[in-house]
Amino acid sequence: MNEERELAINPIVQTSVQHNTQVVSNIRNLTASLFGVAAGTLGLESYPGFIFYLVGTLIVSSLVFALRADGKPAEYFHRPLGDLWGGDVFSGLSSFVLTWTLFYGLVRA
Amino acid sequence: MPLIGATLNTMGLMFLTHAVYSTYEHTATFPSAPLPLDITIELLFSTLVLSAGIVFSSPSLKPIQWAKWAGKIEREGWQSEGRWTREGEEVLSDGDPYAFLGLDGGIGGKGEGRRGFWDVRVKRKEYAEWVKTGGHS
Repeated sequence: MNEERELAINPIVQTSVQHNTQVVSNIRNLTASLFGVAAGTLGLESYPGFIFYLVGTLIVSSLVFALRADGKPAEYFHRPLGDLWGGDVFSGLSSFVLTWTLFYGLVRA
Repeated sequence: MPLIGATLNTMGLMFLTHAVYSTYEHTATFPSAPLPLDITIELLFSTLVLSAGIVFSSPSLKPIQWAKWAGKIEREGWQSEGRWTREGEEVLSDGDPYAFLGLDGGIGGKGEGRRGFWDVRVKRKEYAEWVKTGGHS
């Protein structure tokens, strides 16, 4: 069955989609700066820092998966892989780098 | 739930502040020595606790499938979300968006279930009966 037909039979509530996206992006923004603080204080440099961020976002995604989505992401996200596991990962990267460099400079310099 | 989130956030922030300050002191005293294991563990632990607290204190997600969402609001109705606006109005969860049509009045009830609807056939029949009985009410 093609997607248009599927959506006609099982429609999707736009306000809920917006609300869920906003919740996930809020969590991502807050945790990205938090991981930046941790990475800067640990004194990570170059690739280990980015790997630290990716591992951190994966942990946060699984926390959202377990605590907020009750283990059923298809009920809360249209595309669970993109919206929950990969949602806003790269938009949080800039705030991660910001606090990473800030705390590296504060603690190590 | 809000209490768990607040507790985790407070605990995580305290551990994080302590760990960062310890690192600062350590690097100020021994600039070239690696970070001791206990500070690293405290830092990672506080990060984990804080991210769990952030997830706990975030609002719960809403189901996106219309059937699930409509079933939820049908079961629960308007409910407080535990937040108030600055003007003191309570923030309510989603409710039935078609409640204003009054369709529920027609289910098993006497009404038609459509607001402003006037059933002309019933009225005509009533008038005919009234005429048949002699025009006296």
